[in-house]
Amino acid sequence: MNSMEDFRAEVGSSGPVCVKGGGTRWSLGGEANTTARVVHAPDGIDSHDPAEMTVAVWAGTTLMTLAEVLAEKRQEVVLDGPPGSTVGGSLSVGWNSIRRQRIGTARDSLLQAECVGADGRIFKAGGPTVKNASGYELCRLLVGSLGTLALTGRVILRTRPLPECSLWLRGAMSPVEVERSCYRPSSILWDGSNSHVCLEGYGADVESEAEGLAEHGMVEVAGPPDLPPDRDRWSGDLPQGAVLDVATGVVHRHGSTVAPEVDPAVKAIARRLKTNFDPQGRLNPGRDPYQISA
Amino acid sequence: MAREVPAGTADLVADLVAAIGADRVAAGGGARHLYARDSSIIEGGHSGPVCFPGSTDQVADCVRVAVAHGRDFVPRGAGTGLSGGAVPCNDPVVIATTRMNQIHEVDVERRIAWVGPGVVNLDLTRHLAGTGLHFAPDPSSQQASTIGGNLANNSGGPHCLAYGVTSAHVAAVEVVLSDASTVVLGEEVGDAVGYDLRGAFVGGEGTLGVATRIAVRLTPDPPVVMTLLLDFKSIVDAAEAVTGIIAAGIVPAALEIMDQKVVHAVEKFVSAGYPLDAGAVLIVELDGLPAGVAREVEIVKRVGADNGVGTVRVAADNAERELIWKGRKNAFGAIAHIAPRYYLHDTVVPRTRLAEVIEQVNAAAERHDLIVMNVFHAGDGNLHPLLMFDPREPGTLERVHAAGEEIVRIAIEAGGVLSGEHGIGLEKRRFMSLLFSPDDLAAQRALRDAFDPLGRANPLKVFPTGASCGDVAGLTEVPEGVWV
Amino acid sequence: MSSPSYTELLDLDSGSLTTCVACGLCLPHCPTFRLTGDERMSPRGRIALMRALQTGEVACDDEWYSSMETCIQCRGCEAACPAGVPFGELISGTRTAISRARPLPLHLRLGLWGLTRPRLLLLGSRLLAVLQRIRLLPRVPFLPRKLPLSGSRLPRRPEGDVVLFTGCVMDVWQPEVHDACEAVVEATGSTVVRSGPGTGCCGALHEHAGLHESARKMAEHVIASLSGDQQILVDSAGCGAALKAYGHLLGPSEAVAFSDRVLDVHEWLAEHGDSLPQVGLAGRPGVIVHDPCHLRHVQGAHGAVRQVLGHCSEVVELNDDGLCCGAGGSYSLLQPELAGAARDRKAALIREVSALSGAEIVVSANPGCSMHLATAGVEVLHPVQVLAGMLTSPDAVGSGSEGVSGATGHGR
Repeated sequence: MNSMEDFRAEVGSSGPVCVKGGGTRWSLGGEANTTARVVHAPDGIDSHDPAEMTVAVWAGTTLMTLAEVLAEKRQEVVLDGPPGSTVGGSLSVGWNSIRRQRIGTARDSLLQAECVGADGRIFKAGGPTVKNASGYELCRLLVGSLGTLALTGRVILRTRPLPECSLWLRGAMSPVEVERSCYRPSSILWDGSNSHVCLEGYGADVESEAEGLAEHGMVEVAGPPDLPPDRDRWSGDLPQGAVLDVATGVVHRHGSTVAPEVDPAVKAIARRLKTNFDPQGRLNPGRDPYQISA
Repeated sequence: MAREVPAGTADLVADLVAAIGADRVAAGGGARHLYARDSSIIEGGHSGPVCFPGSTDQVADCVRVAVAHGRDFVPRGAGTGLSGGAVPCNDPVVIATTRMNQIHEVDVERRIAWVGPGVVNLDLTRHLAGTGLHFAPDPSSQQASTIGGNLANNSGGPHCLAYGVTSAHVAAVEVVLSDASTVVLGEEVGDAVGYDLRGAFVGGEGTLGVATRIAVRLTPDPPVVMTLLLDFKSIVDAAEAVTGIIAAGIVPAALEIMDQKVVHAVEKFVSAGYPLDAGAVLIVELDGLPAGVAREVEIVKRVGADNGVGTVRVAADNAERELIWKGRKNAFGAIAHIAPRYYLHDTVVPRTRLAEVIEQVNAAAERHDLIVMNVFHAGDGNLHPLLMFDPREPGTLERVHAAGEEIVRIAIEAGGVLSGEHGIGLEKRRFMSLLFSPDDLAAQRALRDAFDPLGRANPLKVFPTGASCGDVAGLTEVPEGVWV
Repeated sequence: MSSPSYTELLDLDSGSLTTCVACGLCLPHCPTFRLTGDERMSPRGRIALMRALQTGEVACDDEWYSSMETCIQCRGCEAACPAGVPFGELISGTRTAISRARPLPLHLRLGLWGLTRPRLLLLGSRLLAVLQRIRLLPRVPFLPRKLPLSGSRLPRRPEGDVVLFTGCVMDVWQPEVHDACEAVVEATGSTVVRSGPGTGCCGALHEHAGLHESARKMAEHVIASLSGDQQILVDSAGCGAALKAYGHLLGPSEAVAFSDRVLDVHEWLAEHGDSLPQVGLAGRPGVIVHDPCHLRHVQGAHGAVRQVLGHCSEVVELNDDGLCCGAGGSYSLLQPELAGAARDRKAALIREVSALSGAEIVVSANPGCSMHLATAGVEVLHPVQVLAGMLTSPDAVGSGSEGVSGATGHGR
């Protein structure tokens, strides 16, 4: 049986510690300090309540396992990541799925998180319901924090119904034209010469929208284009082989990328946050969410 | 009897006037009386001078002067909040953003608009008419409430079931912090790198700083909208139907329930032809592409039939749809026809447990000999039980409070939370400990202090501090004195 | 600290005051809150300050007076209030109390007195018109820029099927509206008799200014002079609202019976206008409808205007929930700054809607609105003038009107 108490004991209350999921994006935002003790969050699915459209899951669970369980009830979660990624890892990276326009953002999907803080105490952020305005939005801070504010053990995530039908098309239409001629497509990608669009929903609607796009030369393809592993923020031009995610402004590309400059006033708030949550800097030392390029 | 103003107020007012101009500062007894309260039933607040800045710089001036004089500051939009979030304590400078009501920029192609915090929610959507876009958050107060206020409370509304609450529609926000500095949180497109400070700020109830410019995301108008009005013998049947609809795997644009008493009250105001003999009505709105909407209409009808639906009325046109919504959106005000005051709760429970929780809530009200009315966002389990009362009747307030506390406990025991969209403010802070442990609250405190290390931004809100508001004794634990 | 004598003076029904649950849904419908963003200039704030004065929580000072005196009494809040707070009664009671404590400015009192002397008013207006023509009269904001030299040219009937209430200043300054009204009504086959100067002024402005007693006397006079049982048609929304409220003002059953005879002319035409000639869809001009507050919020007759105009034109909406233009009877004299700001806001909206829709004609069923908007360069016709134009030459509806962009004089 998993318990937050066991996870808390593993994290302890002193000494540098880092939490490792699937390790798929382990050096993102800086290499973890090698002297830090490595801990793992528990894994397993606590409960999936399809009628509630939520799932309670341990942070160490792989996205693949979770997806399989949810698919049995024709549901899915927003989280996305390379094979082997875990729920906790994917939340702490906080990247959005390329299907964000349909399923929403990672930051909107985390309803509740039970965490171990730097002082070795357990706290809960958010609440179990799909709507909640009780107190501060701690969950949003945790998503994308690279585990630098607290270590997440167990979460409750919002789920979404799986689309009845899903279709990718590719063609030379511009992304703006695609957006104008479809009603809220799930994804629009641009590779510099072609748009790749994902239509999802009820079969008849997807078909009729696809027919409309076909008139503009868009053809059905098996799936999205291969996305290069590195990420950058869209600044107006697209390097060879790169793919732009129109909704998020993220450029998927090969080659080194640099973190954007951040307003010192923003960094000042971030510094105070880090100090207030982790005064000794013991959580995931070496990792810095401001060193991520996009 | 007007209360004495604290020492140093004349100097404070003089400095505010010097900073932003005499026509932007109101310090008289009348202004302080009015700005001591909002739409909640909390009285006993005490306002200092009220400022009407017209720009980010002027907001910063107000904050700087307030803090220099050792005063707190309280941001305020239209004052339609229901939990006392804008009720000032200890004579702070009230910063009303109602004159920062410009729509600065609308980018139809990128679906972004930069607006002042004082822009009225519905005004933005009206401004967008003809562009095929709208601003999705639609709290019932949307004709009056400001986008700054919506942001502070992370407001919901009927259509946030499918479209998400305010946070999902705020891309970036310019904020004046308590040290009078200005900072932009978030990005117009995509997520800002680093901590989601934008996400933390939204819903901060004005305790983290003052929003001065807001970049909101605009949502395309759905090609097809169908609004259905279903009537049921009982509210429990209606609630079961809601559970059934969600369980069928569809996410309607909106799912709203009104019980019979509410229906009677709103029908008097709007004459929308609501069925007066039904135990409850369920408004279902479905939108999207035609085939999907048609399919979902059939699913809703089938689930309705499974739960004993009486009639299913489908709005024939826009005018009929607007009339149905007008009733729903004016429900709180219309209820004043029943009793002079109401105490409105805003708990959320798992939507699969709606029916049993409503029965418990009704039983609790009955035990305390109170009329309860229910009108709520059923689709996300967001209950709004209203306890009706006449404060002039001796002993009523005690019963209202006892019943109110029971309702909160019922929701939490069912796995729910304190507030779905109205926020904590002053009203629910005493209940925070029912939901959160001291360690949970310490983590929230760490967030708040990172934004406002000085503790000057709208203090005494959200946390169960135990400190009283102004000279009203025991607001936290013994609130009787402040409810009117 | 409030003055005890004043607290006694303001004796509003505490039940009505507590009906307000402070939900704030009135705020966007209040023209002065829209302009200032200040609760003191809002219905919710004014109600709270009325209550606070009665309970002694605030003092009766300039701030309090200003809150009450800046209300235009458009009653847009009342129509928007889901709780049904009788704001019109509350503000009217408050203004009556204020008028006892603070006499109105002399020029306004003189003006209001003049309204009760229709023949004197006519004489005075002709004199001013002459002075205007020979450029001896300085520009006065509230006066039409071209006062008429003569009145109606139509022959008077001694009796008719319906009565047209001609009132005071409108009969003098806008006789062409009454003429148009008469022509349209007669085109349906009914005959019209005019109430004439003997009946005089309805008293709306007096009630508005808090002169309750004068208003009462004038109401009694109007009722006495219009005995009979014909329907009484009114082409001024402000007068119509006042006549319909006589039952409330005076109480006795004959006043109620009188009020029941009163109809806004559009309400009557909506019932009887089927025989009016129709204009084919292609030839219809766009008509921007500005709703007078007392037509929309008080009488609820704005639907009838659209129905009647639908015979000959494409109705173009302003989509501002009928937000007040700031005319408000004598308001523009007493609060020129707010009245001007409300007017400019409305004029800007009208120009914007005109540019988007191409509609050139603007109508309002209240002379006060027309004169007020004219000072911002917006030419406003009465809806019956558009209808009358259709009767004489269907093709020429609206032609020659300067409309939205017009900066020419008032009247024809």
